[in-house]
Amino acid sequence: MTEVQETRRIGIDAGRVDFIAVPTKDRERAAKFYEETLGLKRNPNSTDTWVEFETDNVTLAIVDPESAGQPFAPLPFASIVLRVPDVDEAKQRLADAGIEFLGETFDSGVCNGAAFKDPDGNGLMLHRRYAPYRDGTKP
Amino acid sequence: MQIERVDYIRVPVKDMAEANRFYGELLGLKRNPNSPDEDWVEYEAGNVTLAVMTPHTHDYEFTPLPPGTLALRVPDVAAAKEELEAKGLQVNEMWDSGLCHGAGVRDPSGNPILLHHRYGAYPDGTMP
Repeated sequence: MTEVQETRRIGIDAGRVDFIAVPTKDRERAAKFYEETLGLKRNPNSTDTWVEFETDNVTLAIVDPESAGQPFAPLPFASIVLRVPDVDEAKQRLADAGIEFLGETFDSGVCNGAAFKDPDGNGLMLHRRYAPYRDGTKP
Repeated sequence: MQIERVDYIRVPVKDMAEANRFYGELLGLKRNPNSPDEDWVEYEAGNVTLAVMTPHTHDYEFTPLPPGTLALRVPDVAAAKEELEAKGLQVNEMWDSGLCHGAGVRDPSGNPILLHHRYGAYPDGTMP
């Protein structure tokens, strides 16, 4: 039997990422870290059980999987990559606040990065691309 | 401490060919032509970049994203579920929180993706 080839558009019209869920075992501790240590803006539409922080382009939602009966598992290595003006300077500030980094700041030849973890062990990274992309545009 | 934005979300996968089919063809996300390498391909999801990459070619072991990490906004969750199922994917039952619809699906490496659409207003009356 011959299958009819579909000719309609591909995909599901995914327009944007509504949020990135950041799992925690301690919502209060996590909220303090994202608000005070990283300095992100708390979304005023947050509720007691669903707290959101805004970066310029995407929402980070602090979720407690165990309160919903799901096992906790942290985000793997460097899952959320945060753009900062200067990686070394931001790293120093976080180190002063007691945050441990995973190794030295790297220089890939096009960007600098420094990987660390939030208090729940979620993988984050400070990042700054200093070189243009292949097509000549800059970040 | 000044955080300007999220440059990308790293999506670890085990197999790039399968992942490219999933993110590029099934989800229909646009592949960034500036993607640096065959083992690091970036897809644009509107407001944020998904860097789909293989940990095993970057000196560390694969671990999938935890459940519900990535919530993709679609116009109609039921329609998106139907469309993906027609392409052979298994999509979980759609739920209704009273404010939004969601349905979970996994990429070929087991990363959970939430098809999501909020239809209820936020506490301040605005809509998504």
